[in-house]
Amino acid sequence: MAQDMEKLYQQRLKRYVTTMRNEKPDMIPIRPFVAEFTAKYSGYTCQEVTHDYEKAFAAARKCAADFDWDAVVANMVYVWTGLTQAIGLKYYGVPGIDISPNIGFQYIEPPEENAFMKPDEYDQLIEDPTGFLFNVWLPRVSSDVAVEGQPTSFRNNLSFLKGGMAMLSYFNAFGKQNELLRTESGTVSAISGILKAPFDIIADKLRGYLGLVQDVLERPKKVLAACEALMPHLTYTALSGADPNKNVPIGFWMHRGCVPFFSMEHFKKFYWPTLKPIIEEIWAQGHQVLFYAEGNWNAHLKSFAELPDPSIVFHVDQSDIFEVHKVLGERFCISGGIPNWLLATGTPDEVRQYCKKVIDGVAGDGGYIMDASAIVQDDAKIENIKAMTEFTREYGVY
Amino acid sequence: MECTEWSYPMSNTKKQKKKPGVCIPWDEKKKELPKISGDEKLIRKVWEDIDALGYMYIWQCLLSF
Repeated sequence: MAQDMEKLYQQRLKRYVTTMRNEKPDMIPIRPFVAEFTAKYSGYTCQEVTHDYEKAFAAARKCAADFDWDAVVANMVYVWTGLTQAIGLKYYGVPGIDISPNIGFQYIEPPEENAFMKPDEYDQLIEDPTGFLFNVWLPRVSSDVAVEGQPTSFRNNLSFLKGGMAMLSYFNAFGKQNELLRTESGTVSAISGILKAPFDIIADKLRGYLGLVQDVLERPKKVLAACEALMPHLTYTALSGADPNKNVPIGFWMHRGCVPFFSMEHFKKFYWPTLKPIIEEIWAQGHQVLFYAEGNWNAHLKSFAELPDPSIVFHVDQSDIFEVHKVLGERFCISGGIPNWLLATGTPDEVRQYCKKVIDGVAGDGGYIMDASAIVQDDAKIENIKAMTEFTREYGVY
Repeated sequence: MECTEWSYPMSNTKKQKKKPGVCIPWDEKKKELPKISGDEKLIRKVWEDIDALGYMYIWQCLLSF
């Protein structure tokens, strides 16, 4: 039995990796990025899978065991709000505390005037990014961490102790989770490690989107220097978590660097020149990067085509998947493209028809992984996820 | 993780006080210590390995949480 499961795991790993290298496997791999859907399917609330990572892990394993999926993210809910609460992070809407227990966690971006980094603090960030995060950023994003130079406190000390212990506890638990996915259901853990673009990080966690919009116009040299200062740290952190076997890619989460959030000029001036060398460096060390292209990135496909093949896997959310295939398909594997609205509101027949359209359009020569467009939350109908899975298994054999 | 030789221009990184993976550089810590009579390489390695966990903490807070 254990040998059968290991055989299944090896078959799926080969199928998944072959496809990510933009080659033709035996059949189309299925790798849905299922988040709060796992809670719905397994009978948990959003609060339970967000605040108790063991329940999130159990839900992910149950889905992996019940559906014929090749790979899953070990915990696509990914944020453990027990940890964020221990640190005192302010920018979360926590299910069961700030919002309904039946709603997935939320990010709260502060008003522009309360941004976690002020417009005149770029030089501090550029000079010493790690020091800036510890001494300036963390005291602002945490309700417990004391500002450097101010009296410390019980809550300050506990934030670091509990936060550090909780982080190790959580990260170490992924080793066991990955092993259980492998031995219980023969499922591959889909990604390893994390990357975000320097430009996105400034918007997401430091200046806020509106603050960065202002900065690219008023202090562009500082913005570019800050992106450059973040590059080696983001590269290092991405590589630190990468798969030592170099099979599965580093997850790269793309947010608001694209048109129309920013102009093409700003993309070419800030976003791309400080991202491309990171991808090239990671690839030089033998790791692929999964571009989780949330939103519509069609305007930027020619830039992505500059990357060495097959250094990336390009995941399609609202981009036109057929255009993506036309521009990138000969060089890179593509995934996704099944609209979340269809999985939430459509019928199984409509899902099957859409899957057929995507497979016919982009998967003829391999290099395509079946998945929804965006992360699957609890609005997706279970019968539609089943239809996506079963149709791909029936129709997606080469 | 080993610090890599960057294959792309990182000019302003050279001006940064701390390299990737480092919170308190060994050279800075060593100044606080009495003359080391034992294996300095061992002490340095353990210092840097644990220091890297502190680095991981803050950058993972920024990126993953």
